[in-house]
Amino acid sequence: MDVFITSKADFDSSIQRMIQQNEIYGVKRKTPSFAFDRLVAAEELCLDYDITVLPPTKYLLPPTESLIKFKLAPEPSIRSSAEAQPCILIGIHPDDLHAIKLLDAVFTGSLTDVNYLARRRATTIVGVDCVNPWPYSFAASMGTAIPPRIFDLWLTDLGDEYLVEVGSARGEDLRKRYLKTRRAREVDLRQRNKVRQDWLKKYQLSLDMPPQEIPKVLDEAWHSPLWEELGQKCLACGSCTMVCPTCICFDVRDGIELNLKEGERYRRWDSCMFDGFAKVASGENFRPTGTARLRHRLYRKGKYMLERYGELGCVGCGRCVHACLVDIASPVAAYNRLAKEAR
Amino acid sequence: MKPKIAVFDFTCCEGCQLQILNCEQEMPDLVAALDIITFREVMTERSDHYDIAFIDGSCTTESEIARLKEIRQRAKMVIPIGACACLGGVNCFKNLHPMEDVLKAVYGQAAPYYDTIPARPIHAVIPIDFFIPGCPIVKEEFIRVVQEILAGKAPYLPNDPVCAECKMVGNVCVFDKGQTCLGPVTRGGCKATCVTGGAVCWGCRGLIDEPNINAEKEILEKAGLSIKDIVEEFSLFNACQEDVWK
Amino acid sequence: MAVGTELGSSLFLPKLAELLKVEPLSEKEKLFQLRLKDGSRLNHKPGQFVEVSVLGIGEAPISISSSPTRDDSFELVVRMVGNLTGALHRLQPGDTVGIRGPFGNGFPVSELLKRDLLFVAGGIGLCPLRSMIQHAIDKREQFGRIILLYGCRQPAEQLFRGELGEWRQRPDIEILESVDRCPVDVAWEGSVGVITTLFPQVSIDPGKTTALVVGPPVMYRFVVAECLKQGIAKERILLSLERRMKCGMGFCGHCQINNRYVCQDGPVFSYAELSRLGEAEL
Repeated sequence: MDVFITSKADFDSSIQRMIQQNEIYGVKRKTPSFAFDRLVAAEELCLDYDITVLPPTKYLLPPTESLIKFKLAPEPSIRSSAEAQPCILIGIHPDDLHAIKLLDAVFTGSLTDVNYLARRRATTIVGVDCVNPWPYSFAASMGTAIPPRIFDLWLTDLGDEYLVEVGSARGEDLRKRYLKTRRAREVDLRQRNKVRQDWLKKYQLSLDMPPQEIPKVLDEAWHSPLWEELGQKCLACGSCTMVCPTCICFDVRDGIELNLKEGERYRRWDSCMFDGFAKVASGENFRPTGTARLRHRLYRKGKYMLERYGELGCVGCGRCVHACLVDIASPVAAYNRLAKEAR
Repeated sequence: MKPKIAVFDFTCCEGCQLQILNCEQEMPDLVAALDIITFREVMTERSDHYDIAFIDGSCTTESEIARLKEIRQRAKMVIPIGACACLGGVNCFKNLHPMEDVLKAVYGQAAPYYDTIPARPIHAVIPIDFFIPGCPIVKEEFIRVVQEILAGKAPYLPNDPVCAECKMVGNVCVFDKGQTCLGPVTRGGCKATCVTGGAVCWGCRGLIDEPNINAEKEILEKAGLSIKDIVEEFSLFNACQEDVWK
Repeated sequence: MAVGTELGSSLFLPKLAELLKVEPLSEKEKLFQLRLKDGSRLNHKPGQFVEVSVLGIGEAPISISSSPTRDDSFELVVRMVGNLTGALHRLQPGDTVGIRGPFGNGFPVSELLKRDLLFVAGGIGLCPLRSMIQHAIDKREQFGRIILLYGCRQPAEQLFRGELGEWRQRPDIEILESVDRCPVDVAWEGSVGVITTLFPQVSIDPGKTTALVVGPPVMYRFVVAECLKQGIAKERILLSLERRMKCGMGFCGHCQINNRYVCQDGPVFSYAELSRLGEAEL
């Protein structure tokens, strides 16, 4: 394992140099929360944050994204608008990286979404262990508080220093070009294990079962009174899905210029919680109630994604738990309650 | 043949018409694509032979009813623009009082010479073909609607609540800052511009098709609003939709 | 993530296709015959669908109603219900549309070999079934009996009347037709009543029969019940579902039924499978 140590002071000046030569998105303060945004100065970067308003997946699957561009005159022609500028994402938490792993499975599996692939390849991922889990997160119990090995560089805050783990050739290149490091010793690794164990204990919410058990719980829960109970309160505002790192549903629309000669087709985040999500052109709505939509969302997170892509659709970040103004979106609360009902 | 466009103002601040004029970048393409023949705010010429009538403002006098009916007869498409035309808007405040009191308060001694009726959105007076909500309208949405009409498409009316767009642009929820908001039940399409700008959503684009009013009231109460506060919050723009939220 | 290799071509990129023929079939439906402009064949299977674009208006999933056994063109029947279908109805021969696909599984042709095929079509449901009916006619010796039960609301809504006439002439196809109601001044030789009234009029060998059912959602529950009553196995009752297949690739989420994507895993499902999916409501 290629593991190094850099002092925080050295790290800051490395970031400053990185900013000068690269397009970097990092975690910045957005009172009273944090947000991924373009970094202009190293001091803006907050690596001890608890949560960002939107997950970093917004750079891989942006809220709106052009899919194709077309010309209607003089002759009809169409071209793909898949392209991406190289960029570095810095400050990704382990749970959000698990979400990216799921997105990779969805968009680069048996069929490839080239818009996603272009952005994904252009993105260098520098993650960081979560020092301050926020009160709504339950990542530790979801097994997503330790990063999957799909990062380029991974940082762990050891106090005055960062432990830097290299995960790819691209990460090694970044380290060599910008970071002033020494090789990590056995004691540093032991220190990392210790602090990780400490942080894991800080999570306040937790799933009452191993995450692999969620599908089994859901298998028995289709007719639970919970869905109706929660569905009645649902605002259908879509907030829970908009802030979710694994929510990927989108609508596709066409735009056309006033000259009617050219335009583009773009996708835009959509939500299975909106009442028209499953409505077809003839007017039939296949998921017309809040109850049905809420159940679908929690089954998709806890069962369907796992069955299809081998990864759970919930990484325990807790954004939906907090974003829901009527307190019904929490997957952990729902799964725990259903497990209890089953017993 | 370019479609002939007329823009009319009724009872309003005319701010939505200004939004059309604010389409500076697109103006050359707009005038190339449309034949603007009546638009009092920008030109003296006028004609009664129009295809599409954009209507700014609500209907608040008897004479406006007659004028609207005439427009409906002449136009192939009638499209109210802005909160006043689409919802009745802030003009509906006066509906809370007897009309004589309203006249007296505004015109004093001259009250008998004026005509006023409870304010109504345009669709309450004549059939409409589409509407562009907002106080004021979003110019990008106006352009899009024109593009879609030109392309022969029924314009798209957003029905996702403001909350969704507010999240898409990455705003911190105003409830997290101790404020309250009608975003969860208000028709989106504005990119949550008020929240992005540091304010809250007052519901100027009207309610979504199936708002969960009970849930919205619950969160407003939880945030400390009294019943009276909640009524006021809804009344600002949505007084005419009282039957939905009261 | 591997860097450097080719991105590959975008699955969102439609191929251009020329409208060869546009023919009204009824008040609301038109038949479109198309050919891909790059000279390639669509290479579809019966029961699959394509995403049809009118650039600037949008895209919609439309089932393919012709058999791949015919020629290098393909046919779609489009009911005018919205923006995209409205725009399609305004197009003329020679105009260009965009085509993505074919998508979906289609009918399991190899499993249908030697079987008796009981086609049950409700209204516009005849269109996707027609691709399989034509296929079975073109390879007639590979299949057992071909039985078509075709129900519409009224006689004027019958599609492919000319082709139906040809099928009726053939001794190797059995056709039974019904309408929900028939105006007094219209000649009608079929049954009057819902489509399930046709079942008692046909005798089938349930062990040899596979039912292929396409129609409006409300029809499915009743037709499935009839098929089961006739003794057809759950696995041998095939239904094609309509959902909002937006991207066609299992990405966008709109057509999901439980853990299935209609655009990829369907649109054809066996009743055995659908009966296990709570959201199919069958």
